[in-house]
Amino acid sequence: MNLIDIRNLSIELQTATKPILAVDRVNLTMKEGEVRGLVGESGSGKSLLAQAIVGVLDDKWKVDADRFHWRGQDLMRLSLEERKVIISKDVAMIFQEPMACLDPTTTIGEQLEEAVDTEQLTGFFWQKRQQRKQAAFTLLHKVGIKKHEVCVKSFPHQLTDALCQRVMIAMALARRPILLIADEPTAAMESTNQGQIFRLLASLNQLKNMSILLISHDLENVTHWTNSITVMYSGQFVEAGTTEQIFNQPYHPYTRALVDSSPKANMQIPNKSRLMTLPGSIPILQHLPIGCRLGPRCPRAQQKCVRAPKIKNFHGQQVSCHFPLKDNYS
Amino acid sequence: MFIFTLRRFNLFFFTMLLLTILSFSLSFLFPGEQLVNLTGQINATPEQLAVLANEYQHQAGFITQYFSYVSHLFHGDMGYSMASHLPVATEILNRLPATIELTSVALLVAMFVGIPIGFFAAIYHRKTPDNIILGVAMIGYSVPVFWLGILAILVFSIQLGWLPSAGQISLLFEIEHVTGLQLIDILLSDSPYKWQAFIDATRHLILPVIVVALAPATIFMRLARTAMLEVLETHYIKAAKAKGLTFWQIIYRHAMRNAFIKVIRDVGLQFANLVTIAMVTEVIFSWPGIGRWLIESIYQRDYTAIQGGLIVLSTFIFIVHIIIDFVYAALNPLAREPRHGA
Amino acid sequence: MARDKIYQEEEFPTPLMQLWHNFKQPPVVVIGFGCFLFLIVLAILSSLITPYSPIENHLNDLLLPPAWSNDGNVSFLLGTDNLGRDMLSRLIHGTSLTFGLSIIVVMASLIIGVIIGSLAALTKGVKSSFLNHFLDVILSIPSLLLAIVIVAILGPGLENTLWAIIMVLIPQFVHITRNAVKEEFTKDYVLASRLDGANSFRILRYSVFPNIIEKLISQATLAQSAAILDIAALGFLGLGAPIPMPEWGAMLANGIDLFYIAPWTVYLPGLAILFSVIATNLVGEGMRHALKVRKEN
Repeated sequence: MNLIDIRNLSIELQTATKPILAVDRVNLTMKEGEVRGLVGESGSGKSLLAQAIVGVLDDKWKVDADRFHWRGQDLMRLSLEERKVIISKDVAMIFQEPMACLDPTTTIGEQLEEAVDTEQLTGFFWQKRQQRKQAAFTLLHKVGIKKHEVCVKSFPHQLTDALCQRVMIAMALARRPILLIADEPTAAMESTNQGQIFRLLASLNQLKNMSILLISHDLENVTHWTNSITVMYSGQFVEAGTTEQIFNQPYHPYTRALVDSSPKANMQIPNKSRLMTLPGSIPILQHLPIGCRLGPRCPRAQQKCVRAPKIKNFHGQQVSCHFPLKDNYS
Repeated sequence: MFIFTLRRFNLFFFTMLLLTILSFSLSFLFPGEQLVNLTGQINATPEQLAVLANEYQHQAGFITQYFSYVSHLFHGDMGYSMASHLPVATEILNRLPATIELTSVALLVAMFVGIPIGFFAAIYHRKTPDNIILGVAMIGYSVPVFWLGILAILVFSIQLGWLPSAGQISLLFEIEHVTGLQLIDILLSDSPYKWQAFIDATRHLILPVIVVALAPATIFMRLARTAMLEVLETHYIKAAKAKGLTFWQIIYRHAMRNAFIKVIRDVGLQFANLVTIAMVTEVIFSWPGIGRWLIESIYQRDYTAIQGGLIVLSTFIFIVHIIIDFVYAALNPLAREPRHGA
Repeated sequence: MARDKIYQEEEFPTPLMQLWHNFKQPPVVVIGFGCFLFLIVLAILSSLITPYSPIENHLNDLLLPPAWSNDGNVSFLLGTDNLGRDMLSRLIHGTSLTFGLSIIVVMASLIIGVIIGSLAALTKGVKSSFLNHFLDVILSIPSLLLAIVIVAILGPGLENTLWAIIMVLIPQFVHITRNAVKEEFTKDYVLASRLDGANSFRILRYSVFPNIIEKLISQATLAQSAAILDIAALGFLGLGAPIPMPEWGAMLANGIDLFYIAPWTVYLPGLAILFSVIATNLVGEGMRHALKVRKEN
């Protein structure tokens, strides 16, 4: 059974003139215990997708989906409140700038304690207080913070970015989630700290069998940590498959370009030659091309591409392209 | 925190320096003899003037003159009022408490009414309550205060007869002057009519306080609304939502506190505005405060009184500024110490 | 025949056009702007369109109530005061005094304040810090008290009040200009033109001012509503315009003693002040809103 199964999820931005389709019919499926990477350039709608799943988008955005199943349960049939209850129980999210995501005027301890699920506590309220505190310490230990006494008394601005992200993860763990959505958790960090956070996430995945949706703009960076990858471009679904499939035999021209632009995957090319890149840049939201949005930049584009392609399935690797690069690999 | 305190004291010292320089130079700018303006002795004989000139080191340079003026100030000597021939310091001491009472009560009322309403408007952003509150706020800070005061007297004291229109307390009550703050004095006194007097003083306070507080309250409303809207847009509110807290939990635990901190910072600036309004209100309600006395001093060309009043009133405002700064620092951990690493 | 638009073209209006476009969105602001223009027209044409002279006494018609009341007279639409002067004419003349003069006052202090403020932004070190503290001190003194002190130096009278209010408003403009210029100077586009070899004045003129002009205008509307209230308040306290002048604050003060017999002599000038301040504030509000919207896009 799939942990999460989303079909044709669209997100519209309501503006004064006309609504803008920021995310256009994207599919996403995850199995239990899987680490899936969600890759795309900045502005490709991957953060929006994640926020739509958790339900923290504000009123400006309108979310639609054909199917939204959570562990076999159809969430589309439930009211907004009921959906929120289920999601906030089982899904946790950590964000890009950990420092900005912690209330600057409240101590870490207080913020951690309020995240602790009341149902886990037993006894009377004076006992609960002590238990909450204990639970906060345990959470800090889980994410590898040993000096818990100092940490709970600190304010967010007194900690480093990496520590704040650990605290954010600790908060996310407080509800014992089944799925953790990590929205570029290391965007603002140095590479040594990035490694620490990724290792922590990987160990959580292995020890607690927690599924992780890892959002990143850097394909090369996530390949090391993920089992499977979904690629998005400009709010559209591009390709999904296991990490090996995506990295070794991408079928979509865009994925191909992404892989080609990464130096690690191209160790064999001669010195001082140029890496392959696509011409042009990602279109702005006000001027999206019709059909396949990669069209104007795509080397294989033909007349057919003005219509959005159907998704094709090759041995579990899903591609959304009229002219997949299928023949190149046989 | 220590550095923060030191900085405030430094600022206070500097401000006092500038204020005294300003007030000292006023004695040259006002029409008439500088020494007379400074001391207020208009009917002094030439001999007395010579003594005074010696006392204020009138023959020496400007800087020496200034320092002798400051040392007089430190001894509580602000000269004599040209109109009443009483020492300015005594006159001010008699009147300042009434102004402090009026302005501080009005400030508290404005804050406790304005800020919650502003938060309320922000929570219902772009809905009917928000629009109504914005409209009322717009009218509130556009109303000329003297007109509002007159209307309030007409409606509530004369037509409805609910509240008294002038003075601080009915003349029937005799209250001993201890702190000067009427309400506290009444509570301290051992008069048998203590409670009647207290109620009477409160009734006298209501109308002027409402008139003074209206405009600042509407400004606080707008400040609070903007601050709350800004806070609701931040990442940590979004993260708190993702944590699974309910909307009201988020408002109470995170949004209110952060928005309140943003508002508090501007309260100090609004206080000068509030004192301006209070000065006019004192005239209309015959409130025995320093504002009314200052305006009367102008009619009587009492330059010594104006100088003294300027110093005392500005110092009062500045002390309130500093107190509010400390409240701000107490609430906001970011203000107390510099950021790490940054 | 209108041609079909084949290509979707992006039009980029100039910043000012964009501002105007955003400005006229909310209908309340348009109404406020209309009232504001109406007041300006009244202020300019006041002596042409009033039925009577503002100081002409109609001794047969003392304390006449407005025309809609039973004892009213249509030839005095808004009634007369205790000396038989036509309220409508006085109110219209008052527009050019209270409202019109407030515009002049704000313009004058805007120009002086911007000049001092930009010079202050260009200085550094002790001088700059001294000026900063000095401004803080001045801004912490209640504006009315400061105006009163200046009036005490210059002596009462309308003209002196205006000077006093100009001087009170200048520090605000210096403060905001200085902060705005300093903020712009830290931005990269200023650095770019500095690297091109532009001197400070050229940068101020061509790079910085076009970017802070809206901020200044929005501050000016704030200052104007303050100026209207201050002129009226000083008039009311008897320190500004002398009583026979149809300045709104002075008219109000004149009406106070007649409040019980002739309430319209108090209501009307007060309403006139309220109306003009609300119109000014609406314009300022619309301006700030438009600036915010433009920034967000």
